[in-house]
Amino acid sequence: MLSAVKDGAAARREILKTAKERGVRYVRLAFVDILGIEKNIVIPGHELERALGGHVTFDGGSIDGFVRGEEIDMVLRPDPATFAILPWTPDGSTEARVLCDIEMPDGTAFEGCPRSTLKRVLEDAGDVVSRVRTALEVEFYLFNRLADGVPTTQALDNGSYFDFSPSDRGDETRTAIVNALEAMAISVSSAHHEHGAGQHEIDLSATGALATADHLITVRGVVKHIADQHNIHATFMPKPVESQAGNGLHVYFSLGDVDEAVRLHAIAGLLEHAPGFTAICNPTVNSYKRLVAAWDAPIYTVWSHRSANALVRVPPTNEGPPLIEVRSPDAACNPYLAMAVLVESIAEGIRSRALPGDPFTGSTYELSEKFRNERGIVTLPKSLRAALTELDRDIIVRGALGDHIYHAFRDAKIAEYERYRRVVHPWEHEAYLRTY
Amino acid sequence: MLAFAEALARIAAGGGGPQALAGHLASVLDAAVLIEDAEWRHLALAGTGDRSVPPSVRELLPRDISDASDGVGLSAPADARARAFPIRAGEARLGWLSIFPATGNLDGKHGLIRLTAASVAVELSRDNGGSKGRRRSFWDRLLARAYDDPIEAREDATARGIVLAPGYVAVAIEGEGLDEATASQKNAEIRRVCLDTLGSRTGDVVVIERGGGFLFLVPAPHEVDAQNARTAATLIPRGITRAGIDVKIVGGVGQHAEMLRVAQSVDEAREALTIARRMFGGARVMPHDDLGVYPLLYRGGGNRAEWEAFANRVLEPLRGYDEKHQTELVRTLRLFFDVGQNIKVAAASLNVHRHTVFYRLRQIAEIGGLDLDSPHDQLTLRAAIAIDALGG
Repeated sequence: MLSAVKDGAAARREILKTAKERGVRYVRLAFVDILGIEKNIVIPGHELERALGGHVTFDGGSIDGFVRGEEIDMVLRPDPATFAILPWTPDGSTEARVLCDIEMPDGTAFEGCPRSTLKRVLEDAGDVVSRVRTALEVEFYLFNRLADGVPTTQALDNGSYFDFSPSDRGDETRTAIVNALEAMAISVSSAHHEHGAGQHEIDLSATGALATADHLITVRGVVKHIADQHNIHATFMPKPVESQAGNGLHVYFSLGDVDEAVRLHAIAGLLEHAPGFTAICNPTVNSYKRLVAAWDAPIYTVWSHRSANALVRVPPTNEGPPLIEVRSPDAACNPYLAMAVLVESIAEGIRSRALPGDPFTGSTYELSEKFRNERGIVTLPKSLRAALTELDRDIIVRGALGDHIYHAFRDAKIAEYERYRRVVHPWEHEAYLRTY
Repeated sequence: MLAFAEALARIAAGGGGPQALAGHLASVLDAAVLIEDAEWRHLALAGTGDRSVPPSVRELLPRDISDASDGVGLSAPADARARAFPIRAGEARLGWLSIFPATGNLDGKHGLIRLTAASVAVELSRDNGGSKGRRRSFWDRLLARAYDDPIEAREDATARGIVLAPGYVAVAIEGEGLDEATASQKNAEIRRVCLDTLGSRTGDVVVIERGGGFLFLVPAPHEVDAQNARTAATLIPRGITRAGIDVKIVGGVGQHAEMLRVAQSVDEAREALTIARRMFGGARVMPHDDLGVYPLLYRGGGNRAEWEAFANRVLEPLRGYDEKHQTELVRTLRLFFDVGQNIKVAAASLNVHRHTVFYRLRQIAEIGGLDLDSPHDQLTLRAAIAIDALGG
């Protein structure tokens, strides 16, 4: 990625120069659909200049959640700041990738474009929030594959937190992932084995909210690709193994050197809108198997300085302003939409000057109903369907998404939930087949 | 005398209130002036300088105060020259104006004092008229603990157009060092910032202006509302600074109280304000909850049960944690103090590494919501440990 981002023509010239110098043969024009799945159109290197000018189009009707029942050419508008040479060469040729916004043919932002949605939210969020810096802790599992390449849920190791096992394939793979990310100018602050057997974590350094969302798209792609090279299956699935910790995506916000009151307002905004933003930050039926009272997953709208299972944590710090950590999201989310609803929740907390109550000490799993009622603590939705109902009720979160994305996302997720609901699961056979 | 009366009239016309009147009298007499209402609520204090002034003259008045129009002497520990003058409106006594001279005595100055008391009486009487006065009289009755029955209180409130919350948190705020020329304007700005900061999602904040200071009753149906009211109150000084108002304020926050017991929260807020001013140097708003041992010390000590209740409040969270997690936080704290807060010696006594002592002290601070580097919190913890030990 270009280390010094320049606007307009200068940035485009620099990309073209880099592409020429590095002999880029193909460029992947990447974008995400409403569910956050990365899509791309490959163009030859000589077409890059035309692409940078916004002259590459695609059929928006073929992408889930974009436009329905009609065929419409939509424009890919590459963001020069995201141009990166891919650190692998499948056939010896050099490939690059650039993330794109999606525009309508008349040049206006497409309201179904998640990346443009985050940009809009940041622009409207006010000075303090639009300058927010964000960092991520991304968790994933590395599993063995069968001989035919089919993934399993069999872990590569039996390690736990911070274990060091130099001969372990998982450790080698994680190191290769970090190398690849650093080669793409994504700053990794640390990487380590996580709690679950075969579970790993990569921590990304703080940057702007848009860049952070871009980075998660890249991280997901790089982790999958490098694991594949090692004949390993990598998954960000929120809860791949019942008996092990789930994969979370902890999002850190730094509001900088603001008045302490502003930070409290931001925390209150996050707590207040957590039920509403859960469907976006935890978008699969599987997400809700992670959000249970185990493995330090958050289940209540509680904030704390130290509690490991609080929804929002503000860890004590010896240097710099305190960070606000949101611990409920998982990496199956659309990072642009997740960041948009989190940022909007913070902005709304500041606008309304909400306050979050006192910080909680201890384990949140033991809170009585009376205690929760007195302190205005609510339970996070326990299923995707419940989360969608909370989303329907939250006009702030819906406003951040915009009508198009809200309805398209909701329709897609209700359909997903209904598909899940109709499946007879193995647990049901085990519990009922002999009993009834 | 004429110039003095004209000055009082100017202050009253400018909306200065009892605090400004007290300030003027204090500067003319070179004396501390304390004004209290008939329920012994603090209305104004001025001209204290370095002088020690009792929080109330309630216990210092002679038994027979039937003829006190020319003031009555106060008993020790007040200075023998100190006198209290009744504030009257007709036959009703609205409060007391007490003078503590810095130099000389009050001979020949009773006229000035009585004129000031009369002006204060006019201010207090004016506050009780009209529809605002009717609402005000409800709150006065509630704060005077005149209601025993919540239904009666609610009916009375409804008749006056007041919607009562199930609970309240009281916040007392005063500007410090206001001069009479600008007191009125600055008080208006203080009031605006306070209301802006305390603004409640759960109902209207009640404002009672009295004695140059403000009393805010913040609706708090649930504990979280009370927590937020406390937090918001502590943010008021920053709001004053941010608004560019050149005044220092001091304040106190009472505990969360049911509607009928709001007077208790008010008493605590006022007590917290006084302690914030005297122990913490003012310019801050202190929640009563955070004052540790000071309320007991301020009241001149309590009985054994009160001290034990205080020690239990402080130590109970640590004991609960110890019991649940099989830790030794209370023992560590006791030993830490026993060895003069020497980590190395404490570690040796406990037979643990000194990092373990550091870790436990951090836990103690977090669980107890205390700062072990603060001398105030150290005093609270030391007192609690000592009371616990003395209690056997």
